[in-house]
Amino acid sequence: MSVLNDETTAVDASAPELLLDQHVKYIQALDTKKNDLEYWLTEHLRVNGLYWGATALHILGHPDALDQEQIVEYLVKCQHDNGGFGGHIDHDPHILSTLSAVQTLITYDRLDAIQVDKVVDYIVSLQNEDGSFSGDSWGETDTRFIFCAINCLSLLKRLDDKRLNLQKTIAYVVRCRNFDGGFGSSPGGESHAAQVYVCVGTLTILGALHHVDADQLGWWLSERQLKNGGLNGRPEKLEDVCYSWWVLSSLSMLKRAHWIDAPKLIRFILEAQDTETGGIADRPGNMPDVFHTVFGIAGLSLLGYPGLVAVDPVYCMPRHVIQRIGLADKH
Amino acid sequence: MESRHGRKKEQAESPEVLKAREEKEAVLVREYLALKDSLKELIESNKRDNDALKVTTALLRKSPDYYTIWNVRRTILKEGFLDNADDETANKIYTGELEFVQENLKLNPKSYWMWNHRRWCLESMSQPRWDKELAMVGKFLEMDARNFHGWDYRRYIIRQLDLKDKEAKDKVLERAQSEFDFTTTKIHQNFSNYSAWHNRSTLLGKLAEDLSAEEREATVDNEFDLVKNAIYTDPEDQSAWLYELWLIGRGMTPLKAGYVANIYKAQLTNTDLLKTIEERSISILGAYVISFHPLEIVVAFDETIEMRNPFTVSTRVEHVAIPLEGEWKATGSDSELGSLWIFQQAPGAVYGPTVEVVIFSDDVCAVRAGSKLPAAVCYELETLNQNLEDISGRLGRLVIGQNLMYDVTKRIGPVTRPDGTLETQVVNPKHRVTSLTESNSLDDRVALLKREISAVRELVELEPDCKWPIQILSTLLSELRKTISIHSTQAKLIDDECIELQEKLITIDPLRQERYEDRRTQLVFDRETLSIIQDSKRFPEIEFAVKQPSNLDLSMRGLTHIPISSYLLHLHTLNLDSNSITSTRFLRNLLNVRRVNLSNNLIERLEGLQHAPSLEFLTLENNMIAKWEDVVAGFVFWGEGKLGRTGGHVKVLLGNNPVVVNEGGEYVLEKRWEDVGEVGVEIQWQSEELRLAEEAILAAGGEI
Repeated sequence: MSVLNDETTAVDASAPELLLDQHVKYIQALDTKKNDLEYWLTEHLRVNGLYWGATALHILGHPDALDQEQIVEYLVKCQHDNGGFGGHIDHDPHILSTLSAVQTLITYDRLDAIQVDKVVDYIVSLQNEDGSFSGDSWGETDTRFIFCAINCLSLLKRLDDKRLNLQKTIAYVVRCRNFDGGFGSSPGGESHAAQVYVCVGTLTILGALHHVDADQLGWWLSERQLKNGGLNGRPEKLEDVCYSWWVLSSLSMLKRAHWIDAPKLIRFILEAQDTETGGIADRPGNMPDVFHTVFGIAGLSLLGYPGLVAVDPVYCMPRHVIQRIGLADKH
Repeated sequence: MESRHGRKKEQAESPEVLKAREEKEAVLVREYLALKDSLKELIESNKRDNDALKVTTALLRKSPDYYTIWNVRRTILKEGFLDNADDETANKIYTGELEFVQENLKLNPKSYWMWNHRRWCLESMSQPRWDKELAMVGKFLEMDARNFHGWDYRRYIIRQLDLKDKEAKDKVLERAQSEFDFTTTKIHQNFSNYSAWHNRSTLLGKLAEDLSAEEREATVDNEFDLVKNAIYTDPEDQSAWLYELWLIGRGMTPLKAGYVANIYKAQLTNTDLLKTIEERSISILGAYVISFHPLEIVVAFDETIEMRNPFTVSTRVEHVAIPLEGEWKATGSDSELGSLWIFQQAPGAVYGPTVEVVIFSDDVCAVRAGSKLPAAVCYELETLNQNLEDISGRLGRLVIGQNLMYDVTKRIGPVTRPDGTLETQVVNPKHRVTSLTESNSLDDRVALLKREISAVRELVELEPDCKWPIQILSTLLSELRKTISIHSTQAKLIDDECIELQEKLITIDPLRQERYEDRRTQLVFDRETLSIIQDSKRFPEIEFAVKQPSNLDLSMRGLTHIPISSYLLHLHTLNLDSNSITSTRFLRNLLNVRRVNLSNNLIERLEGLQHAPSLEFLTLENNMIAKWEDVVAGFVFWGEGKLGRTGGHVKVLLGNNPVVVNEGGEYVLEKRWEDVGEVGVEIQWQSEELRLAEEAILAAGGEI
């Protein structure tokens, strides 16, 4: 079984090349930048960063570029007694970092290192009466947290937990749908491509995608592409590489990824590469970071850029990993 | 995450400058790490005093997204200060917190954790000053009129205030009006403020609930005027156009899944039109038996549906209906959605001389918003004494393996539900059609659509290369078409114009070319299959199959896909030569089709052949099938690794596909195909043209 993309897109000959080796080095060097204040100020994102970096490396075809044992050891230290993971050692548990930790461990096939039952208990404890999920015990709710919960439970094959009420979750997500067919962070919240991704992803995993008017939402999503090929997250806003993922994966789940111009988007992502240090920025000429690097590379993979490992549009993990755990038929 | 956006990369500096910067950075890092150390001590010592609070203040100033510190801070505040404080003291503390957050928000207006801390303070206060909050967030929206957090927070404040006033409806409405006016101000400041248009959409439904019909009409007119102002200012700005789309009520989406806060619905409440639109009906094109052993029945719908409950299949034994066990599956690309549904009897289940299939209206859920099956439909099947000759003569040759595909007698009318109650609503398609054209409110709808069409037409003339007016014009025309008879000349003119508009869009907006091509495909397909669908809708008592043409020529129509394959269920021959079709999956729905020509399309993979039981001849020359695996994908593997398919023998022409060259030529492929040991499939790798030429030479006595 080939892990590479089955279908590849012809790339515009004048577009910049993918700086594959430089991106690998960029990600490998992330944990060495301890002289930068930035390194310390982003500590709360360390577990997320690990997921972003590891996923990017897997899609780039360099799954062994980071020390797997060290990563697993570190993640185990981030798990709390209540089952949730913090953003770093000694940081409070939160569903955002919990999902990232589980995704990373599954990608490395090392779920055995943690107590899965406790993770499930933690996530189940965050479901609210209205079907939504809180981000942590302090109670903030957002459709992002719903997706984190459903995504994580589905990766752990525990969506059948009797304590959950998934019908209510579906109903809550549907209540977040707007006049334009998109979804917001809560009922009444403005449509935003990243919130669309989490809502469409949730409905896809829960087999309830029929609540989405795919033509209407596909129209709105395809209008995110601007003349320079980049995508924005809301009407009349600037383009940004991370929307390559949020918009494109949503279109892909709606079976309408062809509604935007792939070669132009590929070119836009490639132009946002940092040719000196590696890594991808939010848009050409800006500073790169690992967040935009993974979503740029995942976007390229979904667009069929040659030589990259295929990515799953729902889970944003290598497709062969999703196949290995038996979830590939879901969408 | 937002803080990582928009940082410009700096130009390379001289070594001196870099060194100075590194030294400065080292100091900052040392300071920060020292602060972190004191935090660690503080957590370990469980201190809950002013010193502890100061450490969190200093850290949060430097690292506002360090969420754990916000949690620590709240714990210190609660346990060290608030738990034993009187109301006044507590209030002072919370006010201090609000000031602290506000000062930091100015620097980081997109930090989730800060907005969150603010909510915690207010929700913990005995008398939160929501009015002050509203003023505060108003200022934030002056600085950045699109701040996502600001708008979310504003709606949150309004919800809190409404909750407080839930007994005083006047106050709630007054507040909604004031928020509505706020969006008007914001939109007038900048027509591109999509956040304001969005909020307006949520408020309008609330406000329209209590308006009289005249007031509602005036409100709607006012909205259309505001949109006109915006689109004449900048016809390329999508904000107002998306709002206009919603005002028109495109696709009736808001009626689906309980979304009722919608001006269009409010505008039409209690009118016949709303009812008519809500009940836009799904039709069943027919139900047929594919096989008797095991019993297989197919039901064809005129659109994609989801099966909410399995349709009831029962068999009668001495006047008692006994459920017949089995499973329903859709044959579309998605197993949970489809326009064709097949029932297969469970192994060992036994059926008697009659079998009944009942489909209740709430068994069926349309994917298209607002559609439903108007009433239960019952199909009766006599399994004994079938005059096979007669039926096969009437339906044409419907041989599937050893079985025949029979009609099932259709009975429409009151049907007994499994629980014994009677579903009495009787389907009356003719009434459906006339009520749509006779209703008074329909006149209003038509007048509205015509008014908007002429306004948008003007803009199209002024700005012929601007895509939004063209897209909206096409949508308006499609809406107008729903209000007139599909047989009328006007409908045909609308179809032609809409197709032309898509072609125009393809040329002026190449980024989204394929979306317009898909839309164009839908329009062309609808036009070409109109006779099939309209006859069955007009004459539900006449069996769908009887009047159907058996051949359909859709060659050179620019089609990208087959929108609803159930329309094609009864065809024998389908010509799709020279289109832009990318997938053969629809073949699995063509239960009756013998010959399909898909030459000169964009197909990369053989799919769906496993389930096209009547298929005898498939031409796929000049497509893009490039790999052996993509040929094999079209078939199922039988035991011992042999390839094959269910149903009869099929011949597939694959000449002039890249696979022939890529995999070593036709002779190599023929050998490989023989090695696999196919069942019932013959593949011709050589192009038909070449084969005929060779045949002619041989016939003339020549040598190849």
